[in-house]
Amino acid sequence: MKIISRYLSRSAIFMLFMVGLMAPAGSAPLEQLKITGFVSAADWEAYRTRFIDDSGRVIDNANGNISHSEGQGYGLLLAFAASDRLTFEKIWTFTYTEFLIRDDGLAVWKWDPSATPHVTDRNNATDGDILIAYALAKAGVGWQDQRYTQAAQKLAKAIGKAAIVKNSGFPFLLPGVKGFTQTDRPDGPVVNLSYWIFEAFPVLATLAPEYDWSAVWREGIVLLQQATASRTHLPADWMSIRNRTQPRTAEGFDPEFGYNSLRIPLYLLRAGMADMEWLKTLKQRWITDQEGVAVVNVVTGEIRERLTDQGYMALPAALACALDGTKVPESLKVFEPQFYYPASLYLLSLSLIGEKYPQCL
Amino acid sequence: MPLTRGMMAFLIVGLGFAALAQQSGSPPSPKSDQTGPSPSPPPSPAPARPQVDESALRYFASQGDTRRVDAEIARLRALYPDWTPPADLSQLVGGGAGGPVSDPEADRLWGLYTENRFSEARAAIAARQSADPQWKPPPDLVAALDVSEARRRLVNASDNNQWRTVLSIATETPALLTCANVDSLWRVAEAFAKTNQTNRARDVYTYLLTNCANPAERLGTLQKALTLLDGQQVTDLLRFERKGGDNPDDFSAIRDELARRRVEKASTDAKLTVSADDLAVVERLAEGETEPGNALLLGYYNYHRKNPEKALTWFKTALDRNGGPKAAEGYALALRELNRFVDAEAFAYEWRDKAPENMQVYLDVATALLSQDPPLKLSPNVVARIIPAVTKARFVNGAQALGWYSYNTDQFRTAREWFEVALSWKADDEPSAYGIALASQRLNDRSRFNAITAQWRSRSQRIADLADGISRDRGTPVTTQPIPQPNPVPAAPARPALTATEPPAVPESSPERSRRVEEFRVAAYDRAVLTQERQLQGSRRVVRSGGSARRACTATRDPSGLAPNAALTLGWCLMELNRPMEAVAAFDQAMRLGSPTVREEAAYGKSLAYLRKDLTGEAAVAAAQAPQTATRRTELSAAILAQRALAAYRDGRWVDVILALGERARIVPEQNDLMLLRGWSYFKLGRLNDAEKIFTAVHRTGFSEEASVGLNAIREITGQLHQY
Repeated sequence: MKIISRYLSRSAIFMLFMVGLMAPAGSAPLEQLKITGFVSAADWEAYRTRFIDDSGRVIDNANGNISHSEGQGYGLLLAFAASDRLTFEKIWTFTYTEFLIRDDGLAVWKWDPSATPHVTDRNNATDGDILIAYALAKAGVGWQDQRYTQAAQKLAKAIGKAAIVKNSGFPFLLPGVKGFTQTDRPDGPVVNLSYWIFEAFPVLATLAPEYDWSAVWREGIVLLQQATASRTHLPADWMSIRNRTQPRTAEGFDPEFGYNSLRIPLYLLRAGMADMEWLKTLKQRWITDQEGVAVVNVVTGEIRERLTDQGYMALPAALACALDGTKVPESLKVFEPQFYYPASLYLLSLSLIGEKYPQCL
Repeated sequence: MPLTRGMMAFLIVGLGFAALAQQSGSPPSPKSDQTGPSPSPPPSPAPARPQVDESALRYFASQGDTRRVDAEIARLRALYPDWTPPADLSQLVGGGAGGPVSDPEADRLWGLYTENRFSEARAAIAARQSADPQWKPPPDLVAALDVSEARRRLVNASDNNQWRTVLSIATETPALLTCANVDSLWRVAEAFAKTNQTNRARDVYTYLLTNCANPAERLGTLQKALTLLDGQQVTDLLRFERKGGDNPDDFSAIRDELARRRVEKASTDAKLTVSADDLAVVERLAEGETEPGNALLLGYYNYHRKNPEKALTWFKTALDRNGGPKAAEGYALALRELNRFVDAEAFAYEWRDKAPENMQVYLDVATALLSQDPPLKLSPNVVARIIPAVTKARFVNGAQALGWYSYNTDQFRTAREWFEVALSWKADDEPSAYGIALASQRLNDRSRFNAITAQWRSRSQRIADLADGISRDRGTPVTTQPIPQPNPVPAAPARPALTATEPPAVPESSPERSRRVEEFRVAAYDRAVLTQERQLQGSRRVVRSGGSARRACTATRDPSGLAPNAALTLGWCLMELNRPMEAVAAFDQAMRLGSPTVREEAAYGKSLAYLRKDLTGEAAVAAAQAPQTATRRTELSAAILAQRALAAYRDGRWVDVILALGERARIVPEQNDLMLLRGWSYFKLGRLNDAEKIFTAVHRTGFSEEASVGLNAIREITGQLHQY
């Protein structure tokens, strides 16, 4: 698979994706992650006890202890990865009762324990919706629970209906239903490429086949390539795609490759796209040039902040492992979670390595 | 213990969710196959009920949790209509007679549920199921969790205005829609209302009032309804008030609020009427409280009902209760309505900066103060403080009022400046241009006069007439625009730099001559008034049906019960007695019910009556209320125009005299007495050539003495030596 995929062009990836969708039992070039079983009990215990309370709320402890749909989605996915059905059920119950209340079937994105009512922004965040739907779909199959599958399907259809829209005829993901379209803002549509959780699309496509998830996948890759054609080869977190062939930093946002975008390589690797040329470029930057994971101005290349938490360090480790078979450094082998976000990235990175590149461990 | 209180049937039926009702009874019940509502015998005691899982009820009873016991009974009733709660719940405690054997694991799960730890209850079920695939959770616990989670989602969705989610939860979870969950019912009703289904919202409230017993919740239901339904729908709900019993309702606060709302609506819409009862309610509320709200309401109600004395009193009460700018606004409006313009201005001035509305009222009141006819004697500092407010707000009407005020106090230069200012603020404002033209004429400023009239003559007939010197008698209707107001009053400083009183523009001559000229000018007016009255009398005599009615109307009587012909007779009779306003009422009655002929006659009489009162506008309206013959139309029009000319003459509005007479001359020949008025008007306007032509004409046909006085006055001014 690696030999084939190294030479794949974008369109070939798409074709393989389609083959993967239509003939899952065949050559399966972009094999789905199993996920479950690749987060150790000890690592999960460390994560769960720090970031998930008894009600099933995933707590962003670097962010005023709020919760959000992304966190609930990561929590569900990682609970499934840790085969912790009990915690999965808790998180799901909380997500269902507190987040999945929108008229359009999507999740509200922001929940604040100190606010009344707790929902402080009832817009959705499409990556959160995708993560929740994806985790539910995996768990529904993995644990043979129709409730999860049905909820996943409902949510997948809601995402397809409300968050997939077209720009110049090409379907893409709205980051949120409100505030990002062409009519909502002068530079709209605005996208966030880290909301493309590629690995979820084939799964959601089986649940809501009436939406063109493969075209969304394709558009994500196109936009990423356009956005990384610049001097720094880095996409900004929030980009205007009013001119879809020339994405540019959206009005009101810093031209930064930041906390959002640094997940993109992880999502590409998890979706089996280790052959993307851009990953090599990024590896050059992160590892060969020893820049490490950093918040970078995409115009000037200036570094605003270096990110040294173990969770961020896991991203280049996964990249080096996937591209070169580099061993995971000792410093990453013991999970020492401090903050929700990098801890989530750590478990996603290490579980990927555990499942697909165990030789790096 | 309220265990035995009446339990509810499914709301679903009451709501008309009919199609969804079928989903409700998912837990299997042996009796659910029954068709129709055939009453079943009362269930026999304890041992006969194994099919209904009472484990939750048992658990809650053992915990002494009466609220949940109630809720569980309601839920079971909803699911199993034939079920009745155990006669003695205490039997259930500790797995008593007939109940299933206690299961510690189930009790633990119920415990989590009781503490609202739904996630943990779910998690425990999931964990045990994955450990023991054979194990099944108590179905009632699952059902209870479903309902509780649904309730939580419903609250969250409703808190976030996700009304469609609220409604879909309600349809998916009928067990939630019982009197044990009144809050959920209220939220469902709100969701209906917020999605334009107020009838459905009303159905929910109706269900609640029909079935649920708690008086506080029942009153709360009405209060919710007040916020979402219209007044009539809420009024309809009042019939569910329970008068007797242990817990009678008291919905009087709702009735009061409905009355208050009707008065509130009527307080801003004079066309609405409210009952005396409603008014009495609001007055009672207003008198019994220290808040300004209802007093303010009553203030505006009375203000818009042309009852400014009462309005003023209520606004005063509101002010005393810290009613703030809104009360002050009303107070100033009421003062103005009472024609207490000086007070109104002084009061409004104090409040002008409190809110934009207060500034607007101040500007309006000040404008009215300046525009009084005859002009009021104003202290200079009042005028001085109006100026900055008008200027800052660029208030066109105010600038114009200052213009007319200056004009009428013979400060033509200042007047023109104000008109220029007004025009600069509103470039298409004809009255400002008209004011400029008039003031320029008085200032003998030909160049500005020519410029402004040239610019405006195509857009304004009266400006064109001014430019044409009016003598052509174009006869076009006089547009009803602000008119110059006369009488000597203290100077109005237009701007700080312009406070000096100007010299009069018309050349002075000897006091003796002036006095004599003035006497003749006034005498011309008196003569014309007499003639006019004679003519009106004549008109009356022509149409009056007979003289015998005179005695019939000496006593005041209400015409509203009279037949049309009797009312008409009464009208003419009252005209005879020179009681025109009573005559108007009589003519109105005749017009309401009469035949076309009577209507014509009555409209004619009414028009004449108004003319008697010098109400030419009303006279014109009355004349138009029924078709008149051409002769009468001409007669009435001529009379109306003559009255207008007389009024203008009396007020010194010379241009309007000329315009009205010009229009009149187009339809009937002009009499000498009116020609004299025209001559004196030209004279006063300084249009001596025109005046001379008129006086000359009159001199030849009669009234030679009066005409001679006019001609001599002209001669004295122009220095001509003609002898007449």
